[in-house]
Amino acid sequence: MSFIEIQCGEVLSSVIFIIEGELEAVPQAAAINSHLSICQPCAAEIEHERLMHQMLADVLKRSCDEQAPEDLQQSIHRQIREQAGNFAGATEVVTQFSMTEISIEIDEFGNVAHREIQIERTHIQHFIDDED
Amino acid sequence: MASKDLVLESAADRTSRFERDALVFTNQLYAAALRYTRNPEDARDLVQDTYLKAFTSFHQFEEGTNLRAWLYRVLTTTFINSYRKGQRQPLIADNELEDWQLAQAQSHTSDQGKSAETVALESLPDSDIKRALQEIPEEFRIVVYLADVEGFSYKEIAEIVGSPAGTVMSRLHRGRKQLREKLADYAKELGYSTEQEVDK
Repeated sequence: MSFIEIQCGEVLSSVIFIIEGELEAVPQAAAINSHLSICQPCAAEIEHERLMHQMLADVLKRSCDEQAPEDLQQSIHRQIREQAGNFAGATEVVTQFSMTEISIEIDEFGNVAHREIQIERTHIQHFIDDED
Repeated sequence: MASKDLVLESAADRTSRFERDALVFTNQLYAAALRYTRNPEDARDLVQDTYLKAFTSFHQFEEGTNLRAWLYRVLTTTFINSYRKGQRQPLIADNELEDWQLAQAQSHTSDQGKSAETVALESLPDSDIKRALQEIPEEFRIVVYLADVEGFSYKEIAEIVGSPAGTVMSRLHRGRKQLREKLADYAKELGYSTEQEVDK
C-alpha cells in the first residue's frame, strides 16, 4: 500500500478544483482529502476560499445587474421582422432526411439484443425570387 | 425522438417562437455585453448583432437544449470575432496552462489577510466592482462573468467560449485571483482595511 503524503502547497494549488466541486479531476484527490482532514490550516484556507468565492459571486451579481435601454427590445424585434420579411417572398426549401437503423442480435443462449439508431438531418435553404 | 413531428414549422411560426423564447434574455445579454465591450453603444450593437445571428441560424438550434447557453455562445463568439478587433487590449500569455498552478501562492493566508479581503468585498461600492472587472484581461473577464454572474459550469463555459475545459479552469482561477487583488487594493486606497498592516 502506498500512501502518498502531500504538502500543503499541493493542496492549496488545487483549491479551484475543490471550490468548483471538481476535485475528482485532480490525480491526487484522495491524498488531498485525507490531508484536509488532518491539516487545520489547509482546512481553514479552503473554508476561507469558499467564503470569498461566494462573496465575490454575490457582489458581482449585484453590481452587474443591468437594465437594457427601453427601446433595445423593440429594435431587435424590428430587425428580426425585417430579416424574416426578406424571406417572406422567398421559396423555402426544406430537405429532411430521416433514417432508422435497426439491428437485432440473438446469441447462442437466446438473448435478444435490440438496437435502434435514429438519424435525422434537416436543411433549410432560401431562394429569393428574382422577378420582383 | 422517434415520434418527432415531421411537419416542419413555417418561417412565420419560427419567427414567433424565436421572439417568444429568445427575447426574454435581452436584459441579461445586454448586461454581459456591457461587461464585454465596456461601453453602452457597443453593448447595444453587440446584443442586436447577436439576436440577428441567432435568428438566422435558429433552425440549427436543437429544441430542448439550453437556449440561454446557446445565446451566450453566439454573443461571446460575435464579441471575440468582431468587437474585440476595434479595442485591442493586451491578451494573456500562451503558456497559461503550464504555469498557473505554480504561480499560485503556496502558503497559507494569515488571519489578517483573510479579514482584510472580507472587508474589501463587504464595503466596496458597485462602481468599484465593475471597475475591477473592466481592468482584468478580457479572457479572464469573460469566464469569471459567465461563471460567477451567470452561474454557468466550467464545462458549459468551455462550450460557450470554445476553449478546452482546462483552459477555462485556469482562466477562472487567475481571473478571480486578479479581481480579488484589485478589490483589496481599492479597499486599501479607500482606507477600509488599514488596521491590518502590522506584519510587514
